[in-house]
Amino acid sequence: MKWKKFFVAFVAAFGFMFLFGFLWYGKLMHGAHQEVSILWRTDADFGNHFSALIFGHIVMSFFLTLVCVRFVPAGGSARCAALAILVVLIYIGNDFILYAVQPLTTKILGGWIVGDLIQFAVAGAIIGAVYKSSTAVRT
Amino acid sequence: MKRFILAFVAAYIFLFLWGWLLNGVFLKDVYAETPNLWRPQSEMMSLFHWIIIGQALIVFSFVMIYASGFAGGGVVAGIRLGVLLEIAAIGMRMGFYAVQPIPGKLILYGSLGGLIEMIIVGAVVGAIYKPAGVRAA
Repeated sequence: MKWKKFFVAFVAAFGFMFLFGFLWYGKLMHGAHQEVSILWRTDADFGNHFSALIFGHIVMSFFLTLVCVRFVPAGGSARCAALAILVVLIYIGNDFILYAVQPLTTKILGGWIVGDLIQFAVAGAIIGAVYKSSTAVRT
Repeated sequence: MKRFILAFVAAYIFLFLWGWLLNGVFLKDVYAETPNLWRPQSEMMSLFHWIIIGQALIVFSFVMIYASGFAGGGVVAGIRLGVLLEIAAIGMRMGFYAVQPIPGKLILYGSLGGLIEMIIVGAVVGAIYKPAGVRAA
């Protein structure tokens, strides 16, 4: 494994996932989330737990990079994106379960599913692109 | 294909039973500490099919990933995949913990329970699903 390329791919995936999460879940879906405001922390409380959000994104992007490198060692955006979509089905399954047990709206469920799919597919494509360039350099 | 379906069904049955035991029995009191975050029991029951669909999707995805890369490694490979996927799930739980006032111990116990769950799901899938080449050998 090319650790330098792995690290670059991981950082790029983390950067995209965090930025996309902020825009999609934090900004675009803000109104939908506020329909069930009792479910969310207050702004001040969220600030106190912000490190957990960063840590969560680090773990998710590191894991996704690891899986892509393990299964698609030659890299390639399309193949890594396809694998990431398979992985995100687990997250979407969890979204369905959360919808059944928490008073979420169907608008929130739909937004999470679309957001998860875009976030993971693009992150997978980024990781695959970085690894493909790694292979090109070796050969 | 037959092995794929068998692995899916066996893993799904375990996941369903473990999910009920973990969330409905072991962690019942922890969930009760934050009643505002959860639907009332009757409402949950009316949406129970979403739980079944969600769990089926999780198991389907697990078996698909296993079949497309880990297959042939047996129980150990299945457990390895289960641990990897549970690490990702812990990342997701941390994200929810940051935005929802969920008790920290629910995240901790949920992650421990999730680790046990995914290890066993991995072992079940690894024991049952064998790619054609491995079965013939």
